[in-house]
Amino acid sequence: MREPGLFSAHVVGDSWLHRAPFGAKLIGVIAVGLLPWWVHSAVPLAAVLAALLLIAVTAGVPLSRLLRSLRSLAPVLVVLGAFQWWAVGPAYAVRVVLGIATAFVAAGLLTATTPVTTMLDAVVRGARPASRWVDPEVVALTLAVVLRSVPWVAGAFAVVRESARARGLERDPRALVVPTVVQVVAYGRATGEALAARGLTDPAERA
Amino acid sequence: MPAEPHTAGAGVPDRPEVVLTAATVTVPFETGAGRRTLLGPIDLVLREPRVTVIGANGSGKSTLLRLLNGLVVPTSGSVRVDGLDTASRGSDVRRRVAFAFTDPISQLVMPTGREDVELSLRRVHRSRSERRAAAEAVLARFGLTELADRSVYELSGGERQLMAIAVVLATEPRLLVLDEPTTLLDLRNTVALRRLVATLPQTVVTATHDLDLACEADRTLVIEGGRVVFDGSPDTAVAHYRRSVATS
Repeated sequence: MREPGLFSAHVVGDSWLHRAPFGAKLIGVIAVGLLPWWVHSAVPLAAVLAALLLIAVTAGVPLSRLLRSLRSLAPVLVVLGAFQWWAVGPAYAVRVVLGIATAFVAAGLLTATTPVTTMLDAVVRGARPASRWVDPEVVALTLAVVLRSVPWVAGAFAVVRESARARGLERDPRALVVPTVVQVVAYGRATGEALAARGLTDPAERA
Repeated sequence: MPAEPHTAGAGVPDRPEVVLTAATVTVPFETGAGRRTLLGPIDLVLREPRVTVIGANGSGKSTLLRLLNGLVVPTSGSVRVDGLDTASRGSDVRRRVAFAFTDPISQLVMPTGREDVELSLRRVHRSRSERRAAAEAVLARFGLTELADRSVYELSGGERQLMAIAVVLATEPRLLVLDEPTTLLDLRNTVALRRLVATLPQTVVTATHDLDLACEADRTLVIEGGRVVFDGSPDTAVAHYRRSVATS
């Protein structure tokens, strides 16, 4: 059984952040995501990250979940930070790492305090002007499935890594990448079939 | 986690009739030269409340089940559910026929069971408050309220399978198709699932390797090499299957 992270499921609660409108939270996440382009120092980014941690505490989001999610992101941050350090310099590397971490935490707080069905409703409303070309329900469902698949893919990679280690192949990238890709494709096909079986991909004559 | 006993027919109309007429499923060989037959030709009329399908791996059980709600359409012949052709009226058929897969984790597409039930109900209830109330009722009916807000990753295999069945039954289909529902379950969860299935008002068609589960039916089909090689009472069908495995 995988321990839940920020993106696994929303944290049931009635805090101010849970009650905040989805649109306002989304604007907040976008603003945090754009922050690295506006500021040229690591200090404001570190302050925002600290503020987000405070927000998580006041919203009743367990810090253990948050840290677990950040830990899963850590290898990416380390590789990216090292590369930026080498390519540009330490100050830029710190900004990049903090920028990604703040955006990740902000997005995680959004998903942790908003039921996916609420997000679906918002996406359907947002995509309605384009309903001549795309089915808003399908757009919303696609986003929901992507969101739901993040922890699954992370879990599949962890299992593959464990299997590779058991065979002494942990340093062979093929032993990690190939089985993960095969599993992800199989999962994608199974999920697609399950959605089709429920009629969720059928052309809508919706209620 | 026993479900509330459901009186037959409550909220569900008369038994659906499934008619397969010379239904055949073929797929091209990987070389592209010719086609191979996965299933059929099969002629069947299913009206019994509980039908089980048994056979070896790769015998065509899952393909037969997928014909019933139009996930697979026959390359020749036809499959009709209540007179609706699965090839041309697939969408209407899928509203009548729910399908639960062996592995519920690929079927539960939302982070929590409650959200997944609400997803099923999106076509039935446009209003969010109505949807929530209806989802609450569905979860309560299946005794899953306490698990509703937990991540699907936190649920045990049995809890996930029960949740997946509740999710597809939320829209009150007339027929439930279960594709090897107990394969990933331990004995306790297998018993829980069998108890749940026994209480359902829907017609249930189940493919299974569990011969005890196979015997809890009104009719059992034995599939071999894509053909129905035996069709009769569960006891005689299971005996036929055992003999055929022993002599092969």
